[in-house]
Amino acid sequence: MAEAEDNSDQSARPSRRMVLALGAAAASTVVTIRPALAQTAGSVMNCQIPVPAPQAAGNYIAPDGSLVAPGTPGAFPPAPRPITGEEAKLLLSGGPSPSGMDSQSAQAYANYIRRLQAGMSGFTCYASLQMPR
Amino acid sequence: MARPRFVADAPDAVRSVELEGLTALYHRPSGMTHILAPPAPQILDAIGGSPADAAEILKRIGERFDLASGEDAEAAIEARLAELEAAGLVRRL
Repeated sequence: MAEAEDNSDQSARPSRRMVLALGAAAASTVVTIRPALAQTAGSVMNCQIPVPAPQAAGNYIAPDGSLVAPGTPGAFPPAPRPITGEEAKLLLSGGPSPSGMDSQSAQAYANYIRRLQAGMSGFTCYASLQMPR
Repeated sequence: MARPRFVADAPDAVRSVELEGLTALYHRPSGMTHILAPPAPQILDAIGGSPADAAEILKRIGERFDLASGEDAEAAIEARLAELEAAGLVRRL
């Protein structure tokens, strides 16, 4: 780390090459500030994410997670049941597909979940999952 | 065994501000704010819109910076990627 401290030129557009310390494997470089979501760890794992949201019921989910018209070739039908927080957490980290869902449609559902925005059904559940362990 | 490749969200999904050596980064999809220390922001920049594994990221960063790394630079990058993944800022392909 000493090398980085010796470098007084911290400009974002360096006119000369800056020294970048990669740090030790055990060091930590990310701190997350959490909004106060009123959920405990237990309820996070039990929360549910409907795929798609009830307002979009019936729409198919394309492999990239976008919603498309029912029957669109290459897209997948809605998830047969809501995906739980625990299942979503496993799925988003490359783990197994939720039971009863094949891996291709599960990947499309995972991409749908990643695209959730504030206000959409299941977003609070997804945001809770994003919290660092 | 294939090395995991990582992708970051599109630039318009995040808003970041430099703060005297640290970077405050607001992640719109999750509504969360992260404080990043080097080399985490540089790793996100290096990934840009183009997925990469740790070796490729190291190569891209090396094109812009002189690297002060210990014995295993790739392991350090992998450790940083794991943190960014846990924070939801990068994900595996």
